[in-house]
Amino acid sequence: MNRYRNMRVAGALILLLASAALALYGQPSLEQKWSFMAESVGSGLAERQVYIDPGELLALMNNDYIDLIIYDVRAETDWNWFHLLDSERVDLDKLAAQRDRLLALPENAVVVVVSNDEIAATEAWKRLMALARPNAYILEGGLNHWLNIYGVAGEESGDHGETSLATPDGTLRHPFKLALGERHAATRPDERHAPQRDYTPKVKLLKKITRAGGCG
Amino acid sequence: MAPFDLQASIGSTGSYLLYLAIGFGFGFILESAGFGDARRLAAQFYFRELRVLKVMFTAIIVAMTLIFWSTALGLLDYNEVWVNPTYLWPGIVGGLIMGAGFIIGGYCPGTSLVSMVTLKLDGTFFFLGLVTGILAFGETVGYFNEFWHSSAMGRFTLPEFLHLETGLVVFLVVCMALAMFIGFEWIRDAVYGKEK
Repeated sequence: MNRYRNMRVAGALILLLASAALALYGQPSLEQKWSFMAESVGSGLAERQVYIDPGELLALMNNDYIDLIIYDVRAETDWNWFHLLDSERVDLDKLAAQRDRLLALPENAVVVVVSNDEIAATEAWKRLMALARPNAYILEGGLNHWLNIYGVAGEESGDHGETSLATPDGTLRHPFKLALGERHAATRPDERHAPQRDYTPKVKLLKKITRAGGCG
Repeated sequence: MAPFDLQASIGSTGSYLLYLAIGFGFGFILESAGFGDARRLAAQFYFRELRVLKVMFTAIIVAMTLIFWSTALGLLDYNEVWVNPTYLWPGIVGGLIMGAGFIIGGYCPGTSLVSMVTLKLDGTFFFLGLVTGILAFGETVGYFNEFWHSSAMGRFTLPEFLHLETGLVVFLVVCMALAMFIGFEWIRDAVYGKEK
């Protein structure tokens, strides 16, 4: 009986110490979580499987069967100059607030992260993966690339032309005459009249395994 | 990083065999802990027997500590672990109904299965009642569908409720469980005399 009692006390002490150590150690930050999963999830990034062509994003924007979420992670100034229709501006350091929403996304949901080029969007994508592993993609070349294709000359100061996508530095390289936000023609071009593009579709809808649990 | 895609690594048959083994193991542990006996289970509600509280809460705090240590060390992605979404009021009403059924019948659904497979008559009848209840619920849920889906809070867990760090919540729950074990033992000894 004494031996049994000693074992119970020892078990209780081990649990108490393990949980106290856990309270001190804490849970991993988003950066740490990304480092844990970089090997398994990061291959899509290295092989550019998560970078989607602007043509594919435009097709997604016009697909009523897709629950599309576009996160724009640029600064508010750039957002005011131009942003995609129905996109949502989220600061990089406030992405964590999206966790519950991302965890509750339906199977037909697709998240696309955009920034001026790919730098901030790639960082945001990593954080999203660490947060909730949504079915997320990055706009290839960013909004500078988008505007190279769908931009309207008359809306920009000077001649509209293809801006160089080399040496990305995170800035918006299309100087608009007016900060019209999503009231520019290029925020959601008409799919039928927009330049047609050949691209390899990369977006795959998640076929989630029905998960349930509980104890009765 | 866990959880692993079992279908991909060991196939459907392998996965089902593993689920079967886990289910068998769970049932075996329940039976070994004496949870196939309605008298022992019901005695919990009168504080005569504390094994339900102790076994269940020990399982909870051990699993909780292991899950969050695994998450802290990067072995498990907690976001990929299924957590039942909270529907507050339906959950409370359902909990009360299940609690009433537990104290009246002496079993919860899982333990009634354990009792039935060990050929106990009361467990078998409880299980038949359980199946009848499930059928009745399925046929009538349309009448109270609005309530059934009310007060949805999504994936709502203690750290969000308490606005505390997860590790600290784990520590507090462990402390609470251990305090409960000691407190209920004290109540039992005070009411029914010291355990021999």
